[in-house]
Parts: sequence; C-alpha cells; structure tokens
Amino acid sequence: MQVLGIPVENGRRALCWKLLLNYLPPSRLAWDEALDGQRCAYRRFVREMVVRPGGAAGGSAAARVDVTEHDHPLSDQPNSQWQTFFKDNDVLGQIDKDVRRLCPDISFFQQPTEFPCQEVVCGDYHERLHERVQRVYLDSASVCRVGLGMQTKVDAKRRQQEHDYVALPGGQEAHWEVVERILFIYAKLNPGQSYVQGMNEIVGPIYYTFASNPDARWREHAEADTFGVFTNLMSEIRDFFIKTLDDSHSGINFRLRLLMERLHHHDPHLAVRLKVQQLYPQYFAFRWMTLLLSQEFTLPDVIRIWDSLFADEKRFDFLTEVCCAMMIQVREQLMSGDFAHNMKLLQNYPPLEIRTVLAKAEWLLSR
Amino acid sequence: MLVLVLGDLHIPHRSNGLPAKFKKLLVPGRIQHILCTGNLCTKETLDYLKTLSTDVHIVRGDFDDNISYPEQKVVNVGQFRIGLCHGHQVVPWGDTEALAQVQRQLDVDILISGHTHKFEAFEHENKFYINPGSATGAWHPLDSSVESCFVLMDIQSGTVVTYVYQMVGDEVKVERIEYKKN
Repeated sequence: MQVLGIPVENGRRALCWKLLLNYLPPSRLAWDEALDGQRCAYRRFVREMVVRPGGAAGGSAAARVDVTEHDHPLSDQPNSQWQTFFKDNDVLGQIDKDVRRLCPDISFFQQPTEFPCQEVVCGDYHERLHERVQRVYLDSASVCRVGLGMQTKVDAKRRQQEHDYVALPGGQEAHWEVVERILFIYAKLNPGQSYVQGMNEIVGPIYYTFASNPDARWREHAEADTFGVFTNLMSEIRDFFIKTLDDSHSGINFRLRLLMERLHHHDPHLAVRLKVQQLYPQYFAFRWMTLLLSQEFTLPDVIRIWDSLFADEKRFDFLTEVCCAMMIQVREQLMSGDFAHNMKLLQNYPPLEIRTVLAKAEWLLSR
Repeated sequence: MLVLVLGDLHIPHRSNGLPAKFKKLLVPGRIQHILCTGNLCTKETLDYLKTLSTDVHIVRGDFDDNISYPEQKVVNVGQFRIGLCHGHQVVPWGDTEALAQVQRQLDVDILISGHTHKFEAFEHENKFYINPGSATGAWHPLDSSVESCFVLMDIQSGTVVTYVYQMVGDEVKVERIEYKKN
C-alpha cells in the first residue's frame, strides 16, 4: 500500500484513510456505532457553535427590557456571548480568506455540495459563516424633493469585491463553505491552537477525497467524516503548527534537522553542498513538512503521496525520506546551480513523475 | 447584522465630543453599517464615524457643513426598508402623524429620524419608528436637559432587535426592544 498507493475504485481510498487515521475501528462490526457517534457529535458541535448571539429572544415583543447587566453587542464582559462572537470573527476572517483560495486549479471547491448543512442553509437562527466577516455595502437611494413631487435617485452601487469563490444563493452551499465550517469548528474546539494558516491545505485534500466518494451513503457524511479524520491527523502533526514547540522533540525544527541528517546519510556531497551555500532546510522544507507536501504537487499527486504517508506505521518517517528523495531527484541541478537558482528550484519544485520519487523514497527508507 | 444609528452630535458647537464611556464601547470591527440622522456637524466627526465602519449613510441636518448630503435616504437592510431623515423638515417636530406621512411617502418599514434630541422607539400602524436622540447630549432649544443616547440595531431576517445605549448620570444603561415585521 505504501508503495503502490490505494486504488480509488468504490471509494476504497476514502475508506482506507479513515482506517489508517483511526477514524474507524479495525473491526468492521464496530463501524456503524463509531460512525454514528462521531457524526452525531459533529452535528452537535455545528448546532452549538455556529450560532449567533442575541437570537433567542426572551420577553414579549416591543417591551423595553433593561439589559445593562446582561448581554448586549458592545458588552466588554469576558463572559459575554457577543464578545466571544467578535473574537471568533477575527479567526473566521482569516479562515474565510484562506478557504477562498483553496486549490484554484480545480473548480471542485466552487461547486455546490449535494448535502448542505440544513440547519445553516435553511434556518434563520444559524448564520452562514462567511456572512459574518463579509464586508458589505447596503443598497441605498437618496430622496430629494422637487417642487411638490418626490424624486428618487438611486445611488451608484459601490464596487463589491469580486470573487471566483462566490457564495451560492439560499438553499445551496459551495464546498469551500463546508471546509470553512470544518476549520471554524476545529478552531473553536482547540482554542490553544486555534487556526493557523496552512490548515486549509491539510483539510482540502481530505475533504476532496471524501466528498468525491462514488458511494452516496459515504458522501452524504463527508463533512462530519472529514472533521473527524482531520482532527485525528492534526493530533499527530499539531506540534508543527505551534510556534512555542518549534524547538521541542516533536517540533518542526527537530524534524528539519533530522531531514538534513538523513540527507547527509544518503548523499553526503549534496548535503555538504547545501550547507556551503547556506541553503537551510527552513527555507524550503518547512513548507514541505508542515503541509505534508500539499503545496508542491497537484492535487492527484498529493493524494497519492498521502496514501503512502498515512500507510506509514512510524508515521512521517516516510515523509522525511520523501523529502530526501525529492532533493536527490534534482541532484544534478542542485550541484551545478548557485544559491539563487537552487532556492528557486526547491521552493518551486518542478513537476516530476511522482511514482519515481516515491519509489526512490521507499528505497532510501530501506537503507 | 449590526447597524449603528446615531445623530445630532453638534460637535463642536454644542458639545465637545462623545462621552468617554461611549467611545470605549464603540470599537472598530463590531459595527458593519452606520445610519446617521445628520447634524454632525463637521467633517472631523464624519471621519471618526468612518473609523468605526466603512459603510456610513448620512442625511443632512439643519446645521451640517456639508450640503451635499441628501435630504432623505432609503436603505435596504435584509428584508427591511429603512428610511432616514433628519426631521427638522417634519413639522410638528417629532409628531407621530407627521412622521407617519413621511413613512408613507418613502414606503419604508422603519423610519429613523432625529432633531428632537429625545430618544424614542415605538410601533405605529405596524411600522417602527426610531429616534436615536443626541449621541453627545447636545442641548435643544426646547429642552436643555438632554441625555446622551445612541441606538444599535441587530437586524436578522424579519426581526430587528434594538439596543438603546443611554447615559444615565455617569453610567451607561442598555435596553433592548424587539420589532418583528409582519
């Protein structure tokens, strides 16, 4: 599996990922129960967290209620729902920007999903997330009096920001909105870590794989399943995303040092060459490792690489070897180029046949 | 969607600025739109409002420097049509029937007017009327004891929850009023 990849037919890849990342228990009999539990939990999170404050109105209409001591939109009390709402909006703003540029080379994320979250799309108690951070200008018209009659003049509509990733009209939801919700709920559940740029690149391929499952029964729950798998995956690579842990044993700097040690082991000349040029792994391999190579290759290749990464028992040792293999694959150019050339080469990795890279990595691992 | 409604600031003629407690409450990033009933009266005040929100709608009061503000304005927020008018043109000032006439002319669900420096929010024949009072507590020829006051509307589909912020003595008092469109 590690070498050959997972066959895509009948949604086997999605199923394998779920198993490999411990989302499903090994025993087939326990699947239904586990899935029900996880999906219910996710639905509950959505219901509890994607809610705006001030919705549940108590008291009769048109009566004046004194809320000085209670919650109001400008409250600066730490336990105020509104206060939390605006703090969440800061995170959400970042998520919103990032999910709108998810995989721009394919149209998948701009298309409507078959299974929108009913509570969000139809209910008016829940609000669609992107609307919370959207900057909108209201339609307005100036009215002035001319003689006895009234004259209405409609103001020119101010230029709205144009997006490819437009929100779809009521009752529909694009895939990027679903991803936005997954990330938002993850950020809410993990306040210590919150959202860090790059998480969108991790969740994107997972969601793509699950939501394009040919079996509609699986596809229907793609959102909840993605959330579960993403959470499990993040628990393994979480330390890459926490700045204070950078230098710890599980942190990114340690992994990068390990990478250079492995490279030195396999190809001392190349390692020395990079060292002499002061081409530190922080400059290029940082992104390779934190984002599990999702930025270096096209989506189908990324998914293929992830098959191997997830199948790795000592997870992410194989990632180190893949990174080594990538450098060794372009060895000739690296040995002849200068610093600027090499930097450009490694930061914009050329499109290579992914199978050879993986085969090379497999061979390196055995050495 | 949060919409700030305020007006009759009369800076610098009758007041030197918003109360400090109001300024502390009004932080950027929370309010999406501002509807202002006019009498700011200078550009500096407008610049301050623009720091709170990029979308500011203003009508002209009788003391505004800028004569290019329109007399009346109609703004669409969600399902609601909101009329904005300073109110010195509506005689008798603040009279319900006179305002109802403006409401019918503009064909709006909510009519916001100012000029009387007295907060009011009421339903009349199924339409909602708001007068945000004076945000700086500027005096009025007919009333020398004016409390500072502004209004924040939380507009969701079909419902407006109005929060009224009033300075009572040294403290800010907040009240909420709900209006549903039928």
